Amino acid sequence: MAEILLKNAYVIDPISGINGELMDIALSGSRIVEEASPKAEVIDCHGFLTLPGGIDSHTHYSGTKVNFGRYMSPEDMRAGRTARRGPMHITSGYSVPTTYGNSYRYSALGYTTLVEGAMAPLEARHTHEEFKFTPLQDSFANTLFDGNWGMLRALEDNDIKHAAAIIAWTLSAVKGFAIKLTNPGGTEAWGFGKNVSCINQTIPTFDLTPADIIKGAIRANELLHLPHSVHLHCNNLGTPGNFTCTLGTFGHVPDLNDKRQSLYATHVQFHSYGGSGWGDFCSKSEPVAKMVNLRPQIVIDMGQVMFGRTTTMTADGPMEFNLYRLHHDKWSNHDIELETGSGIIPVNYRKKNLVNSIMWAIGLELALLVENPWQCMLTTDNPNGAPFVKYPEIIALLMSKRYRDAEFATIHQDTEKRVPLPAIDRELDWHEIAVMTRAGQAKALGIIDIGKGYLSPGAEGDIAIYPLRIDDIDPSADYEKVIKGFSQTEYTIKRGRVVSRRGDAIIDGENTTFWVKPKVPAAYDMQHDTAFQELFERYYSVRMSNYPVQEEYLHRNHCIETETDL
Amino acid sequence: MNVTITFRNRRNRRNPFIPIEAEMITPDAFFNNKEICVGEGNRTVHLNELADVGIEGTASSVDEIEILIRGDASLVKRVGEYMTGGTITIEGSIGMHCGNFMSGGRIEILGSADGWLGREMQGGEILCHGDCGDYCASGYRGGRRGMRGGSVEVIGSVGDFACEHIAGGDVLIHGNTGDFACAEMKGGTVTILGDTSRVCANMSNGTCYVYGCAAEMIPTFEKRGTINHEGLLFHHFRGDVANRGNGDLYTARFTYLQ
Repeated sequence: MAEILLKNAYVIDPISGINGELMDIALSGSRIVEEASPKAEVIDCHGFLTLPGGIDSHTHYSGTKVNFGRYMSPEDMRAGRTARRGPMHITSGYSVPTTYGNSYRYSALGYTTLVEGAMAPLEARHTHEEFKFTPLQDSFANTLFDGNWGMLRALEDNDIKHAAAIIAWTLSAVKGFAIKLTNPGGTEAWGFGKNVSCINQTIPTFDLTPADIIKGAIRANELLHLPHSVHLHCNNLGTPGNFTCTLGTFGHVPDLNDKRQSLYATHVQFHSYGGSGWGDFCSKSEPVAKMVNLRPQIVIDMGQVMFGRTTTMTADGPMEFNLYRLHHDKWSNHDIELETGSGIIPVNYRKKNLVNSIMWAIGLELALLVENPWQCMLTTDNPNGAPFVKYPEIIALLMSKRYRDAEFATIHQDTEKRVPLPAIDRELDWHEIAVMTRAGQAKALGIIDIGKGYLSPGAEGDIAIYPLRIDDIDPSADYEKVIKGFSQTEYTIKRGRVVSRRGDAIIDGENTTFWVKPKVPAAYDMQHDTAFQELFERYYSVRMSNYPVQEEYLHRNHCIETETDL
Repeated sequence: MNVTITFRNRRNRRNPFIPIEAEMITPDAFFNNKEICVGEGNRTVHLNELADVGIEGTASSVDEIEILIRGDASLVKRVGEYMTGGTITIEGSIGMHCGNFMSGGRIEILGSADGWLGREMQGGEILCHGDCGDYCASGYRGGRRGMRGGSVEVIGSVGDFACEHIAGGDVLIHGNTGDFACAEMKGGTVTILGDTSRVCANMSNGTCYVYGCAAEMIPTFEKRGTINHEGLLFHHFRGDVANRGNGDLYTARFTYLQ
């Protein structure tokens, strides 16, 4: 078995309680071990910052939606082209790059684990195919349940156990990882040309409100003991004044799990807007962050917007239609049978635009106002807020008040009156950044048990070594150095092998797809449930027997079995 | 400085049908004394392997460079890409993407040009004595802005999607155009002396004159009466209403789809 000894690594590992210690790390095979044999290959880290491999808990990088973003934006493929080099394949694209483009660029940033934010169950096959060609990162797929008719019917009958059984069957059939709700109820209503405007409005096709769906899914999730909590994209994304809806949603979340949160609310920046229209649009990050501070059962991610061209893609079809009416550019809209929908449009976030400037500020405010870094993850909802290659800039913005002020001076001048950002002096430290980019995400996703997010013996050998000697750098003044350091790792180690060196992938790599299989008693096995089979026969365009993605279809994979309370 | 590039008979090449990617054939590259390499399939070769290159005299600025291309250049692509000055004269026909992104200088083609002539060009001048393929003076796939400045004149006819996404500059086409000329037009002036079909679909701004017949006129144009332009009577249309557009379309004759 290949062995590596990392010498003089300056380690920050929040889960193991290590905050800046010079130490050696030994790797044997794919795991971190106590000691390496003398045969081990020695890598001298020269006191560079060494963190567990980065984890992106919400990113869109694989699947039909992303691929359609590629189809409809040939102009995006003209940006960011790199030629074939060594083991690296040719790549192209900026906001929706090719799979290898995603993989190499994430690897250069030190990321070793990615969670696809939204996989439509019916389109799972395609998503898994793309996972296979994202070789340098392990993959997880959040599976969409927001408009799943089987689940909605069960919830309508107030039969949580039945809903849980359907979720369990679907997750193991499509090899998904967690429950994702995207605009619950709204996407279903969009199939009939409608949307929902608040969480207490009954949706047109079922006698349910979004609040019922969210509460039901959270309880079903805990019945199945899934590693991750419900992963929620709240209703009313992007509408002025939607913060009330977000607060209302957060108010409904019970505290059901002592190991992790009960609700993961994603890209909350898009859900923290005040005002009654675009004219008096303003930031409401303060009440939202206050709510998160009061409720430890909630974890959020930023969904930071950065200026420049990108592509927005979400299962939230009605929201994308509204965006299309604003931008009047190209638009794609999909309906996915009994499950969900999706929409895609390209956008350009501009500093000259007041609304875009306020959005930029809100993401940062959320990260700075949420007191506990374990409750706020660093994301851009790649590529919706910005492509993930902007992460180093976001880290620098969070670490440096001076950088924020410098950037603030360049954005729309009226922003100051609408946002609290200039008054926030907090500067995050290295430990907090480590939490927000890997440790916190591992905890929120519930994947510490499978060895993710820390560097003690027994953990997966996923390590990122950044060319930063943090004792010599004052991040609030030297923000340029922070950006440069986080943009390119010295070494990225994945499963005990060096996969990326100074930005270049050096081996072809091989990743693992993680999926869950709740152990359901026979009475709740949907495979033999006649009503469920009928639903397939009657409404789906595929037969139930053709629906599941076979285990053989996946590349290397790891099944997480969970005990259930059914 | 006079540069003469004579392409040898392509039948003698390993595969005579592989196009040559020749983005380095620009006055700028010769002015900067660069080694001129071109792409042939998956190989990069020196231009000398495919053509005889003769250089006479010296130049103190890009504008003093005149390139003359002879021989069979009909599969040579991207000649004059990003050129900023000087002159390129092509004695025969030229391949696709001639004058991509050019911002200055002049290209004269004595034969015909293939598709994408002057795509996304920003300035300078192109004169084509023969016909031109599809997407003349247009934007590229997925792009939102085509030609932005400069001028293109085609003495012959052009193919489909001429001036797609055009956002500025002047285009004069002496012959006919194919389908969807000036689609998604955003600015600039296009004059078509021959016939055209389905012209100006989804235009948002700019001006288009059709001296011949605009067949299968897009129905979402608002008719504004007639005007006298250069002694001829033109029907004035405004649109495309479907795109909340403010473009002007003047056509001597038109027919709607029956």
